[in-house]
Amino acid sequence: MSSPTEPPGYAAAAATPLIVPTGRRARLTRALGSSGAAYVFLFPWLAGFLILTAGPALYSLYLSFTDYDLINPPRWAGMDNYMRIATNDPKFQDSVRVTLTFVLLSVPLKLAVALGVAMLLNRGLRGLTIYRAIFYLPSLLGTSVAIAVLWRQLFAGDGLINNLLLGIGIQGPSWISSPDTALYTLVILAIWQFGSPMIIFLAGLRQIPVDIYEAARMDGASKARQFWRITLPMLTPVVFFNAVVQTIDAFKAFTSAFIISGGTGGPINSTLFYTLYLYQEAFGYFRMGYASALAWILLIIIALFTAFSFLSARYWVHYDD
Amino acid sequence: MTDVRAAETEQEPQDRSILRSILTHALLIAFSFAMLYPILWMLSASFRPTDEIFSSTSLIPSQVQVRSYPEGWFGLRVSFGQFFVNSMVIAVLSVIGNVAACSLAAFAFARLNFPWKNFWFALMLGTLMLPYHVTLIPQYVLFLNLGWVDTILPLVVPKFMATDAFFIFLMVQFFRGIPKELDEAARMDGCSPFRIYWKVILPLSLPVLATAAIFSFLWTWDDFFGPLIYLNSMEDYTVQLGLRSFIDATGQSNWSGLFAMSILSLLPVFLLFIFFQRLLIDGIATTGMK
Repeated sequence: MSSPTEPPGYAAAAATPLIVPTGRRARLTRALGSSGAAYVFLFPWLAGFLILTAGPALYSLYLSFTDYDLINPPRWAGMDNYMRIATNDPKFQDSVRVTLTFVLLSVPLKLAVALGVAMLLNRGLRGLTIYRAIFYLPSLLGTSVAIAVLWRQLFAGDGLINNLLLGIGIQGPSWISSPDTALYTLVILAIWQFGSPMIIFLAGLRQIPVDIYEAARMDGASKARQFWRITLPMLTPVVFFNAVVQTIDAFKAFTSAFIISGGTGGPINSTLFYTLYLYQEAFGYFRMGYASALAWILLIIIALFTAFSFLSARYWVHYDD
Repeated sequence: MTDVRAAETEQEPQDRSILRSILTHALLIAFSFAMLYPILWMLSASFRPTDEIFSSTSLIPSQVQVRSYPEGWFGLRVSFGQFFVNSMVIAVLSVIGNVAACSLAAFAFARLNFPWKNFWFALMLGTLMLPYHVTLIPQYVLFLNLGWVDTILPLVVPKFMATDAFFIFLMVQFFRGIPKELDEAARMDGCSPFRIYWKVILPLSLPVLATAAIFSFLWTWDDFFGPLIYLNSMEDYTVQLGLRSFIDATGQSNWSGLFAMSILSLLPVFLLFIFFQRLLIDGIATTGMK
């Protein structure tokens, strides 16, 4: 009998190509043909795609038109869920407003910081790898519960930020328990994690040929002009990539808001991220049909954002082929 | 390529460029310190008596005490030791599942020809954009009916079915860079696709496999949403869920214990970062740039 990894006599077979290899796998491959073999490789993914992605996506589309509490079978409700979302759900409106504010503030600011720091690091400094590592670390730690716990303390009424402010004579409010400021603490947390787009910007900056800058300098172009006329246009593909990835990520943010608000999205829904609202509907109230409708609306919002990015890219992203 | 340094020094006098570089370093060092200050402060707070935590902004505790570590470790009905074991089991199984299943699929997409290849590849890329919320509820219903809720199976089994399509994409990019002549030579020698995958492609792809392994470990370790939904009894909790329960159980009273456990929960991530910094940073740079 042949072992699955090393059929006996394999070495001899390999040395003389005319001898067809024996063994279970080789026989299986011949029986299936080469495209059959491909589907064997593809099988785990394909099964996962059908059972865990495509099937569930279609089923959740169906559920979004039903009332479903996990215990009783889904009951057809037509457009009721969508109608309520559109016309009679203040929490939905709050969560959309909160999420859009978060995305539209955190993504541009994070990218601006990332680009600024990347340009500072791209001057051929000594110690580049150390700085790069330090700036990257928060992106790696930032999504954990521990950092959300830390943020809760930093921006508490008697937290570290207010203690620092007290040192210069300012009495700060309780940032996380005020509806006016709570969301901004989450925006700051997102900006703090600028490391991974920064690394991508750095890699992009290195692709820009140095002689372009030299030519510009000869022509007397100022640093600012070099940035607007060379760096930024040459970097637009990277800006585009970072913007799309960060936007999708920002829409999906959950842990920080959950931990900082204790799962409520408060105070007064001011940190009620869309994902948090969806979680509450599904696993707090077990309104699975309604939550499915929310999920499909999220998909549509993200798809619209992405489509808009790709369509607008034609007018501002430069590809040099 | 022309020489950068020569071009710069001929424009600026020597001492001005030195001054500029000192200023840049000063700026970067100050900024680095500001970035790390919260984490360092949490580290020092974990060694402080609780009553001192809120009064001090300094990074050096007035008196060092390690009491908060055992207090935090045994602060809940189930010890953090159990949470760490649970997290580690889930993370290691996820790494194995992701690397195995994603590399198989990536090999098919990068190296084999089969009908409907472009169709499946496009669908695979499409799932990268799909927010997991869309599949969340039916998956939950499925796992509930299988009796898998409150076990680690819903967190681990999908990884063996390559549901993290990002890693397939990453590996396809890498596999395509391996010279095709190697496969062809092996095929001429009578190698089956399975042997080519195992003996030619995988040994040459260790960097991308390591990158995928590290990222799947980190993402699984930090995952909060999955365990929150699927794990109900405290014996099964991961470290992230343990921290959440710690906040709920002790409220504001035991900050030093909470900080101590938070620091410990970051430790594996930090260690991976220290040892595999290059792979992580190159991984990000190459996927970003394709």
